[in-house]
Amino acid sequence: MTAGAAASGRGGVEDLLRELAPQVLTALVRRYGQFHLCEDASQEALLAAALQWPADGIPENPRGWLITVAARRLMDQVRSERSRRNREELIAVATPQSEMLGPPADAEPADRDDSLALLFGCCHPDLSSPSQIALTLRAVGGLSTAQIAAAFGVPEATMAQRISRAKQVFIQTRFDFTLPAGTERTERLRAVLHVLYLVFNEGYTASDGDQLTVPALSHEAIRLTRWLHRLLPDDSEVAGLLALMLLTDARRAARTLPDGSLVPLAEQDRRLWNRAQIGEGIALVSAALPRGQAGPYQLQAAIAAVHDEAATMADTDWPQILSLYELLELLAPNPFTTLNRAVAVAMVHGPEAGLRVLSELAADKRMAQYHRLLATRAHLEELAGDRKAAAADYLEAARRTTSLPERRYLAVQAARLGSA
Amino acid sequence: MKYLLLIYGNQEKWASIPADEWPEAIAKQDAFNRKYQATGELIGAYGLADAVGARLVRRENGLPAVTDGPYLETKEYIASFYLLDCESEERALQIAADMPWADVEPVEFWPVLHEAKPDL
Repeated sequence: MTAGAAASGRGGVEDLLRELAPQVLTALVRRYGQFHLCEDASQEALLAAALQWPADGIPENPRGWLITVAARRLMDQVRSERSRRNREELIAVATPQSEMLGPPADAEPADRDDSLALLFGCCHPDLSSPSQIALTLRAVGGLSTAQIAAAFGVPEATMAQRISRAKQVFIQTRFDFTLPAGTERTERLRAVLHVLYLVFNEGYTASDGDQLTVPALSHEAIRLTRWLHRLLPDDSEVAGLLALMLLTDARRAARTLPDGSLVPLAEQDRRLWNRAQIGEGIALVSAALPRGQAGPYQLQAAIAAVHDEAATMADTDWPQILSLYELLELLAPNPFTTLNRAVAVAMVHGPEAGLRVLSELAADKRMAQYHRLLATRAHLEELAGDRKAAAADYLEAARRTTSLPERRYLAVQAARLGSA
Repeated sequence: MKYLLLIYGNQEKWASIPADEWPEAIAKQDAFNRKYQATGELIGAYGLADAVGARLVRRENGLPAVTDGPYLETKEYIASFYLLDCESEERALQIAADMPWADVEPVEFWPVLHEAKPDL
């Protein structure tokens, strides 16, 4: 079966193009250097394919087609009058035409390693976090600047600047397709996973929007992490992150009402949860956990799995969740984990015990004003029967959050308790 | 995360700045704008016209009713505003503190509500 038969319709073309995007870019950079120009050229080739393929059908060798078109665009740009001022530095790019017609290097392992090296390169520590995200989505994810801008709710010009700057820094890192080794590899993989995690979290946008113009970032994060998991099947944290995303995203349909208001976990209609995604997530984390030292993503995935397995909030295995949070806190101590642990403590040992954990946390002045701590405390105060304190904390949390749906939810809680 | 920066002032204050200092002040502000447009963090920067041009627009009985103000009676009014999109509040505060006018006028700093839903 050809790739053309497998991918049907516009969505199929889109998926195929995203899959091929890093391969096309790395093939170009390997042949011609000049990352900045190759990146533009491969984007243009992807765009040309997105317009032509749905109408004309997918070519026999889609990857070869894209590389040929991108190489042609690259040559056009080199020759064009516009780039005259750049011509001197680009002399090296003016490779003989015969080079272009050489056999497409279809060797799968080389592609595999190059795409992985590109992803690692996009998450180089010299790049700021927003730059890593933007460059990963464009160079590895194959999204256009307009799509990335729409997904983050900023003007295209702003995102174009961000990407342009990211490319400059990327070039300064002297990317050479070498995969980092040893502890550097571990560090870089951690950065890669963090970028994918941030993209996923950014993905909780209010409307699902038109997938083609405003791509759901959580879906894109899942797609890229799934791809990374295929490249590094033995890495437990990659599997853990993929599981965490699937198990969290599985609750998407239940998390909001049609009017956009939030539904907390306890009140979600669990019949709306995506069982297939939960099954896949549980299988992934179950396979990853016994492989040795569990990392933070695996533990978070395990916690999400315990929630997803419970038929009702009351059926939730809170002692298991509590012990997982305790492990997580030992492994990667941070106040947000402690905040979550406080809820588990309250469910196992009663709300007063949970409130004691929170009061330790609130000793840190910045945490004391954090809206999620206030909201959690309000919830536990209500469980403990102190409606007045709960109403006050819900109100303060509503004032502190910068998320509009969350502010509405918290204000409703404050009003509910205040009026009774 | 998006943030709004506001600079307040009034004619009296602007008039007190000697004419020969204006080109430098404007150049500094232009440099600030270019710097943060280039990093992809400054979405827009706008200076407002004088308060004599400000209006209040209401609707009365379904018809627009436009009056002067509200700032003519006010001591200070908005002179310019800036929209940022930054990685963190720390970063946005850092940019606000880099605002040339911050030497003269405090920069008012407002987080913008966004639609992103946290996982409750």
